[in-house]
Amino acid sequence: MSRAWRAAMLAALLAVLVVALTPYVWIILTSFKSRLDALADHPVWLFTPTFAHYPKVFIDKQYLPLVWNSALVASSSTVLSLVVGAPAAYVFARNDFAGKEDLFFFFLTTRMAPPISVVVPMFLLFTAVGLTDRPAAVIIAHTSFNLSLVVWMMRGFFADIPREIDEAALMDGHGRLGAFARVLLPLAAPGLAATAILCFILSWNEFLYAFILVAFESRTLTVGIPGLVTPHGTLWGQVAAVAVVATLPIVIFTMAVQRHLVRGLTFGAVKG
Amino acid sequence: MRAGGARLGAFVDRQLSVLFVAPAFVVLLIILVGPFGYMMWTAFTDLSFALPGHDGNFVGFANFRRLMHDSFFWDSFFLTLRFVVAAVSIEFLLGFAVALLIYHQVTRRRLVLTALLVPMMLAPVAVGLIWKLLLQGDFGMLTYYLRAAGLLGTDQAVLSDAPLVFPAIIAIDVWEWTPFVVLVLLAGLMSLPREPFEAAVMDGANRYQVFRDVTLPLLRPIVALVVLLRSIDAFKEFDKVFILTGGGPGTTTELLSIYTYRMNFKDWDLGYGAACAFMVYLVVLILCAVFHKAVFWQEGRVSAPAPEPVAVTA
Amino acid sequence: MAVAFRGVSKVFVDGTVALDTLDLGFETGEFVVLLGPSGSGKTTACRILAGLETPSAGVIEVDGRDITGLPPRERGMSMVFQNYALYAHRTAYQNIAYPLRVRGAPKADIDRMVRAMAEMLRIGDLLDRRPRQLSGGEAQRVAVARALVWRPDICLMDEPLSNLDALLRLNTRTELKRLHRELNTTFVFVTHDQEEAMSLGTRIAVLRDGRLVQFDTPGRIYREPATRFVAEFIGRPAMNTIDGVVADGVFHAGALAVPVPGRPPGPLVLGIRPEDVVVTGADEAAAIAVTVDVVERIEPDLLLFVRTGEVALVARSLGKTTDAGPGDAIGLALPPPALHFFDAATGVRLP
Repeated sequence: MSRAWRAAMLAALLAVLVVALTPYVWIILTSFKSRLDALADHPVWLFTPTFAHYPKVFIDKQYLPLVWNSALVASSSTVLSLVVGAPAAYVFARNDFAGKEDLFFFFLTTRMAPPISVVVPMFLLFTAVGLTDRPAAVIIAHTSFNLSLVVWMMRGFFADIPREIDEAALMDGHGRLGAFARVLLPLAAPGLAATAILCFILSWNEFLYAFILVAFESRTLTVGIPGLVTPHGTLWGQVAAVAVVATLPIVIFTMAVQRHLVRGLTFGAVKG
Repeated sequence: MRAGGARLGAFVDRQLSVLFVAPAFVVLLIILVGPFGYMMWTAFTDLSFALPGHDGNFVGFANFRRLMHDSFFWDSFFLTLRFVVAAVSIEFLLGFAVALLIYHQVTRRRLVLTALLVPMMLAPVAVGLIWKLLLQGDFGMLTYYLRAAGLLGTDQAVLSDAPLVFPAIIAIDVWEWTPFVVLVLLAGLMSLPREPFEAAVMDGANRYQVFRDVTLPLLRPIVALVVLLRSIDAFKEFDKVFILTGGGPGTTTELLSIYTYRMNFKDWDLGYGAACAFMVYLVVLILCAVFHKAVFWQEGRVSAPAPEPVAVTA
Repeated sequence: MAVAFRGVSKVFVDGTVALDTLDLGFETGEFVVLLGPSGSGKTTACRILAGLETPSAGVIEVDGRDITGLPPRERGMSMVFQNYALYAHRTAYQNIAYPLRVRGAPKADIDRMVRAMAEMLRIGDLLDRRPRQLSGGEAQRVAVARALVWRPDICLMDEPLSNLDALLRLNTRTELKRLHRELNTTFVFVTHDQEEAMSLGTRIAVLRDGRLVQFDTPGRIYREPATRFVAEFIGRPAMNTIDGVVADGVFHAGALAVPVPGRPPGPLVLGIRPEDVVVTGADEAAAIAVTVDVVERIEPDLLLFVRTGEVALVARSLGKTTDAGPGDAIGLALPPPALHFFDAATGVRLP
């Protein structure tokens, strides 16, 4: 490959990276800009940073509970989905039974269900039951798609473990439950971790369910964002700060789970 | 072990498959099928929180008949279709190009890929916020540069200009989701077995022939997968458009899910809104079926495992 | 068209030395076998010849022309891969036709040549099938057809028979010999199976740890192995090799004593092929007394695994020359003309 080609490709790649990262960098910068710098009529790249926005929005405006809510909802729906979904995934990986692919398709559709279609009746049902403005409402809603994700992803991970391991465990004296709990689960631990992180990310980033199903107390971070964007003007420094806190942990998580992203996002069809 | 414990153990053993699958099945039944059924029911009623007397009386297919003649609904529907086709096509072509770029880039592949993933890992709401800031009329960074380059008039702002705003949300979707296409296609490229490429080289094929005759056919299933996945997700798009434009100006960016949102939570016309919600669900269901058939019709994985990427030296 | 490896070395990025200054040359029309255990460098040598790998040092010459820098397309060689590497989305016909299509041959010619090749390999009625509808043997023939259809000067084969079952392997071997005779193409064949090598090759290059150990006709390799390694690698069962010491013209190894007049004193390795060992009664005068360990009757062969003290030997004879069973005492004679000698330290053959 000639050097001119290589240089051109490198330049193209660099351009792509700049385009991909600059918008995010800009919002991070904005969260540290004074109002003057943020609202200046030409873009300010060099400025003296101010850290005032963060305490203003998280302490004065009491946005800190929102971080807690996001964490609570994300981890709860993740744990719930894993506990219920992993055993089911194991059965799909090992057994063959009539209607298996149809059942699997059912799980696919639940993962793909349009939130706008589900949130409406969910809203009505929860209102009727009195489950409004509680984290539980959002946790349940998020489990609806995380559970299917777990089943799809873990099926692949379990299928990767050779059947002979199960049989060896049975010959060694375990019952089938013991074989699953004591042998398979530990072996599938990396897969579980990757799935857990992906579930957490999807739940943390989710907006519509959290927006509709809670009123004020149980708001998650994502719901907090539009709250700061009003027709009478937006406090950009503060909303930027919220956006940064809402996204930075996830960006860091992504690096940890990047290897398994492909498998999770393509329903196990493509291994990363 | 007591006799009772032993019997319980044996029972668990035999019924394990059922015991393992049942909870998941039941949970989903409650969480999703329940609401789905309720949505179906509501679609046949006149439920409305806005109009008095409309507390859920059965009205048969009235909502659906109204839907068929509702030009706003169909405008939104076709708008969404145009959005999906435009966004997914661009994401695919651009994503393929970038995937090839990264594939032939030998050093620091993972680092480049990780950086590239940022847009798609951000909460979509945050993506909407970021671009709202960038395209802001008075102090948006991008607005400034667009005006400086002469592409935007001094009083124009992308998000409030009717002909510009629809392409803008397509462009933003491309920014957000092209990394996903890159990720999947790159994984696909790296999973291709080495031997067909070497065979083609030994058969005398040059670089373009190898790409056309070996790479593309082998990638076809993965291409189908990524196009279908993106199409389904693009059709459901809500979060970032909601915060970017709320569907406006007017209804120029009112995608189907935003229209449905308006019916349900602004107009509180829940019976009709449920009918709209059902339509959205139906389209997604059909796309899912296509996806399932196209990608999983062969029992087994789409990719072929291979130890290392193909290095075809010219 | 003479092919030559001159001083070819290959070191991989992780430091493994696959080839160490390989010097090898052969002529057009030969059937050269690269033989060796895994890790010997045989596949690497083949791939370097093909152009799929570049050597770290040294050159490849064809007819005196340095082709080391040429891409595979321009070398006039074709390759049959171990896993056949057929194009899964194409029919057998299209697979075989591909090299011709790529080279821009006219359609009529392509059709003629593909069908002729298919006939020669007896896969004429499989042309419309796809690879997944073919059995292992059939797929392999398609791969061979694809490699030969455009009449390359040199055809490289990287362990093409390894994935076939035993019977198919034998049949295909015969077919390959026939092809070689009919086509006059130069074949370079990589294998780890010494029987395959002996049956197919006009000359065999034995490789070990990246180095060429011996390059000769099968007959000479068998009768005059250049090193102990070659002696122990070729033949089934392999040559008996015994480590011992020579003192006063007698070779001693444990309880074994063999007169070796004229040999200088010192450590020595004695070799004798199982079929050269003569089985006699235990009471014969000059016989070596041994006890039978295991008897293998693979008709018409009879293999006797015997031992005396620490020394173990294999004797092979035709038919029922003895009824000895495990635990019996018998006698062996080692005829002097059948003895091979190797240096104890280097393993090199001694005259």
